[in-house]
Formats: sequence, C-alpha cells, structure tokens
Amino acid sequence: MKRQLNVMMFSWEFPPRVIGGISPHVFFLSKNLAKNGVKVHVVTCDFPGAPEHETIDGVEVYRVDSYKNPSPDFATWVYLMNLNMQKEAAAIAAKLSDKIDVFHAHDWLVANAGIGLKHVFRKPLLVTMHSTEIGRRDGIHTTTEHMIHETEAWLTYEAWRVVCCSDYMVQHVKWAFGLPNDKLTMIPNGVNPQVYDGLEKQDLKAFRAKFAMPQEKIVLYVGRLVYEKGIHILINAIPKVVQKTDAKFVIVGSGYMQEQLNAIVKSMGLEHKVLFTGFEEEENLLKLQKIADVSVVPSLFEPFGIVALEAMAAKSPVVVSDTGGLSEIVDHDLTGVKVYPNNADSLAWGILKILTDGTYRNHLRENAYRKILEKYDWDKIAQQTRQMYEAILGEYSKSFWA
Amino acid sequence: MRVVIFTWEYPPRIIGKLAENVSTLATHLVKNSLETYVITYHDSMTGTAEEPNGARVVRVNNPVRTHISVLTWDLTLNEEVERAAANIYYQAAKRFILVDVHDWHFIPAAVTLKNALGVPFVYSVDSLEDHRSPGANLPFNMAIRGIEWLGFYEAKKVIAKSEWMHSEIIRIYKVPEEKITVVTPGTNSWVKKTLEIYRTAAGGADTQ
Repeated sequence: MKRQLNVMMFSWEFPPRVIGGISPHVFFLSKNLAKNGVKVHVVTCDFPGAPEHETIDGVEVYRVDSYKNPSPDFATWVYLMNLNMQKEAAAIAAKLSDKIDVFHAHDWLVANAGIGLKHVFRKPLLVTMHSTEIGRRDGIHTTTEHMIHETEAWLTYEAWRVVCCSDYMVQHVKWAFGLPNDKLTMIPNGVNPQVYDGLEKQDLKAFRAKFAMPQEKIVLYVGRLVYEKGIHILINAIPKVVQKTDAKFVIVGSGYMQEQLNAIVKSMGLEHKVLFTGFEEEENLLKLQKIADVSVVPSLFEPFGIVALEAMAAKSPVVVSDTGGLSEIVDHDLTGVKVYPNNADSLAWGILKILTDGTYRNHLRENAYRKILEKYDWDKIAQQTRQMYEAILGEYSKSFWA
Repeated sequence: MRVVIFTWEYPPRIIGKLAENVSTLATHLVKNSLETYVITYHDSMTGTAEEPNGARVVRVNNPVRTHISVLTWDLTLNEEVERAAANIYYQAAKRFILVDVHDWHFIPAAVTLKNALGVPFVYSVDSLEDHRSPGANLPFNMAIRGIEWLGFYEAKKVIAKSEWMHSEIIRIYKVPEEKITVVTPGTNSWVKKTLEIYRTAAGGADTQ
C-alpha cells in the first residue's frame, strides 16, 4: 500500500477561533482531505478553552502559544506569533513517525513559519492567497502596508504553487506579485449545504416574527460594516425598494461604519424598515439565511464572496455586485441577479426584480442550489487539492531536494 | 567538528565590537582545525565565499526590504539565516553541526534548527536588552527580552564575556549557574575555553 500523504497546514485561525473566512476554509478543507485519505496536521493559534491538541474527524489540530504579551502593533504581533508557531511546528514535525510531505500556508499571516520550515525540512511549500494587502487597502500607502505587501510577495516567491479561490484572484495575484501563469492554480472555496438540512422541515414562523412583520419581505445582509463591503450602497437603495414593495432590511454584522449608517437610516426616516442585529450566533445566522426572501452582497472589493455561496446553499435568492469573485459565482438570471457595483439604483432594481416575482425567485433558488452541489462541494475541492499535492510531489521527486 | 556562527555584524559590516571579536574567533577556530562557518547579514555581498582566514562566510540579505522596526526586520531576516544554515546541514550530508549564536538577533533561527533537526546551540552573550535600554518596558523591549529568554532556555551552553555579565544573566533571567561559562575575548584562554564549551555542548557527538 502507498504511504499516506502527510500535510502540515498553517493558519492563524481555526474553530473555535473565527476571525474571518480562513478559519472555516481550513476547517472544511482539512476535514474533507482526511476523508480523501490525506493526513492533515493543522498548526494554528491558541484559543481560550480550546485544547492544545485534538483530533477532529481524522485531522490533527495543534494550537500553539500565539504570543500573548502586548505587541507594538498588529503586524509585529504576526511576526512574533510566527516565531512561536514555527518553533512549535518544527518540534511537532520532527516528532512525527511519518515525515511531512508538503507544507501548506494560508495567507501572509503565517509566511515566516511556512518559509522557514520549507528550508529546514526541505519539503515543498504551497500557499493559498485568500486576499492581498494591495486589494484590501486599494493600493499600498504606508510603511506597514509596504512591509505586508513585500511579505506576501516573498511568500508567493518561496511557494512551489500558489492557490487562489477564484479566477479573479488568480489574475489579481499574478498582477500584484508578477507571478508566472504556471505557478498559479484556481481551486474554488467551498460551502457546506448540509448545515441547512435540519432547518428544512422546521417551523421558523416564530423565529421570523422576531425580525419582520408577516407581510414584510426580508432582505438580508451578512458581513462586516466596512467600506469595501459596500453596505452603504445597500442603505442608499432602501428608499427605492420600500417605495415599491413592503420589505424589512436585516443587517447582520458590525464594523466601523455602524454609527454613520444608523445616522443615514434615521435621516431617511426609515428606522422601522431597517434592523441592525450586530453579531449573530451561528444558529440564528443559518435560520436567517433560510428565511431571507433575498440575500444581498453589495461588495466593492471581493476576492471570493463566501457569503453569496452560503445564501445559495440555504436556497435564498441572491443579488450581488458584479465584481471580483462574485462575478464568477453568480450567472445572471440563472443562479442570481448581478448588479452594477457602487450603484444604488442598480442594486434596488435587482432586489425588486426578485421580491416582486415569486416564480423567478424559485427559478433562481433551484439553479443556485444545483450549482453549489456541482462546483462548490468540499469533497470535490478536497479531491482537487489532493491531486495538486500529488502533482507537486511528482515535480519535487525530480528535484535535488528529494 | 563543524561550527556555524550566527552574528548580525561581521567585517566589513562593523556596528560595534562584536564584528572584530567574531572574526578573530573564527580565525582561531580554523587554526584549531574546526570547520568554521559564519552566517551574517549584508545587503549586497551575498553568497558563499571562502574568506582569507579560512572560515566560510555566508552573507544573507533581508527578503523583505521595507520594515517598521528592527524587530520586524530581524524576524524576516531569520528565515534567510535558517535557509543558509539548513543548506550547510544538508551539504554536510546531515552530519553533526553546532551553532554558536551571538546576541539575540538570530536566536529564532537557532531555536527552529534545534527543534527541527536536533542541532544544538551555544548562546554567546555580548550584551542584554536590559543594559541597552535600561528601564524601557515597551512591548518592543519586552519582545526582545522574550527572545533573549528563549535563547537562554533553549541553549545547551551560555557564554558570558565577564564575571559581571555572568551575574547579570543569573539576576535577570534566572539561568542555572552551571549552564554559563565566563570566556573573555582576547585573553589567553579565549579559544581553548570556547573549544571546551563547544565539545561539551556537542555532548560527545561526532567530533571529526
């Protein structure tokens, strides 16, 4: 029998530590890789109450000291955390009875650990670039941003292969760091439709009544309240929508724009039509996605757009701005509605198109759900990832490191 | 025996007294038939080169050019030090090497090499953060002290330059006394004592 493939994955977040999209990504990817016969060792930051080592569905999870002294700033913390992560991961890898075949790093947040161990153990390093500094900040402006940008460039240089979750990100990363085509691979992000299965037959009327009147349609936004997510575009579209139909806008998430958005809603006299819930627990969030009559993703910059996929998996029709990864997830009129980015009129038009036509709504729901099962299924994504590992090891076996 | 010295200054890059001391030490080690490597930092003089004194010097530069502090500068540079040291390790067909790290800068690399490949290291203390920045207790100073602490904790042996430094290391970091030896650069016993410490740190492993 062939020896099992051993992968060590570095991620600064892993459940129960959830800060952004990398945590669920690494969680589902590693679990499904395990299902596909790959032994995954995840090395991640510690979290209060979470064990230092546990095995989750065949995945070995190690939580290391994430440097808890005060740090001068976030970026310096990242490098100090990497010192600890690398030190502990080195000891873990050295003690394993099976040698690690591939190191897999997620974003610049674990660059030092991945690069260092690549050279020390002489094994290939693979990196998934979930986002870039130049994209997040819409340019490189400060010394810190320069440093992070160069760290990302260094990481992609040291990587055997660079994975992006959308064709858009492949082009973006290629442009940002001047990478050759054959170094880039697109493997989509996945979604887990099973989490909504239990809600299929549940009566959610009482739950719905907490958010909207029975005659009101629910328009759902899930995301941070920050500029790049375009939440202000949605707020500006509200009067145009409620003029034509009775709807309630449920906004889930928090962010630095909160107060500003409150003030705009108040000045429009539409406080009875908008509900800011703040952060919602996972359980409530799933239910909200299930009962939403339309889910809106009005982003201005979006490397992938996982929240649109989740809505589609919950069988909620989606309106997305035609940008970044969202452009690839949604086919207009088939699996959702695409609207012009940064355009409140276009966004209102898209929301109304869905809210005022029940047949159209059901047509989108069914097609979207089918696409989820075909393209964004974690099991298939894990198989693609495994094939990539094997391809890399094939190339590696011919190198002088082998 | 193969020794790899980590130092952030080495001629022609001279910041303080350390560069000259390390260079003289390397010359003497070579004379005593030690296979001696020096890994140091330089922006332009990179690559392997046989030096006139017989020590092989590898100069690495920083893969990240823009930095917000000497701390972030140091932590990315460490990965290149690790890469250079790993190259020596694999070129020597994984035979025994010992690392001698001078001051805090490259302790992270020494610790990773120890944990990953079982390469032991000696920590040679030239100065301490407490004396360089007396009374400073900013997160920046705490981080450097944390790295010095890590060096003392993980090192096989510690070399102090003077009796005073010896007592300061014990006072500040509570390092067990038997772990530390006083070796003063430039004195008659300098090289002989250093070689003894190397041999003890190597613990009788491959001394060819």
